[in-house]
Amino acid sequence: KVYLFNVKDSCRVQSSGLKATVPSQAPAMIFAVPTKVVSETGSVAHYMGINKVPELQKIFQKTDGAPVHLKRGVMDKMLYRTTMGLTIGGTLYCLMALYIAAQPRKPQ
Amino acid sequence: MAHQAHAYHMVDPSPWPLTGAIAALLMTSGLAIWFHFHSTVLMTLGLILLLLTMYQWWRDIIREGTFQGHHTPPVQKGLRYGMILFITSEVFFFLGFFWAFYHSSLAPTPELGGCWPPTGITPLDPFEVPLLNTAVLLASGVTVTWAHHSIMEGERKQAIQSLTLTILLGLYFTALQATEYYEAPFTIADGVYGSTFFVATGFHGLHVIIGSTFLAVCLLRQVQYHFTSEHHFGFEAAAWYWHFVDVVWLFLYVSIYWWGS
Repeated sequence: KVYLFNVKDSCRVQSSGLKATVPSQAPAMIFAVPTKVVSETGSVAHYMGINKVPELQKIFQKTDGAPVHLKRGVMDKMLYRTTMGLTIGGTLYCLMALYIAAQPRKPQ
Repeated sequence: MAHQAHAYHMVDPSPWPLTGAIAALLMTSGLAIWFHFHSTVLMTLGLILLLLTMYQWWRDIIREGTFQGHHTPPVQKGLRYGMILFITSEVFFFLGFFWAFYHSSLAPTPELGGCWPPTGITPLDPFEVPLLNTAVLLASGVTVTWAHHSIMEGERKQAIQSLTLTILLGLYFTALQATEYYEAPFTIADGVYGSTFFVATGFHGLHVIIGSTFLAVCLLRQVQYHFTSEHHFGFEAAAWYWHFVDVVWLFLYVSIYWWGS
């Protein structure tokens, strides 16, 4: 897959099968960065933490075949399994509760 | 390696639509079980599942957009259409409650005393807390616009400050409205006045909470450098939603609080 970040509308996807509207060239930026470069802004760039986005972009673009909801490994897997467990368990509980609720009550 | 020959987003298979649908099933069945059998287990389970679904689904969208670059201009256009259509559906939702209010208040029945507000109802003074609430929301509309311009101009500190202020104003509105609810001399059970008042303002209050939460998520993302000056649609969507909430309040204030008193 070709990943483009912050490329203006005038640039089109560069790959076989699409008409190129600009001369073939590498995408302007591989990773998104704030418009102000770190060296220009000095202390402001570290206001409330540093930019970890490029690092995260590397992690999420690893070609390991993992779907996006499991891309971060163990934590994702645990949360997914918990959610799915509650889904299936909840469905069974629900069906049972509805079955019981549908049973006629003996008149008092 | 294969390249996709188009700019659209072919999403990875995801379990969240299923878990969300089951959450809806559990919440609705749970509501019925609560009403008839006094057990809140099923409904609570549904709520937990809903929260888990929302967290993971929206987390994945952020991953796909910010970290994987899937939100190309055509994709972003689709997201814009989606948000606009969603807000439009919410407008229709509120339109229904305004219809109900005007239906009952324009031609008050003899049972109400033939007048509006109905006999026995002391409405809230529109020029006390409700007017303050109006000022609070209008101010928050200014601060959210300030935040937008700050983001577009790459002013990180200002963006964080103005977005925080917007959220604080939203929380202030909620707190004020909560005290109004507590102090009100009438309840939801007080005829059609109580019903229309609390259902319309109640759903509005819920939307203020939802909007504040959306803005809070945007604040977290802004702090974490997710937004760039050219690409920050998540924030724009939150701002649109916030303006919508503000406009609904203005209609509520003029119709129910002011004209309706």
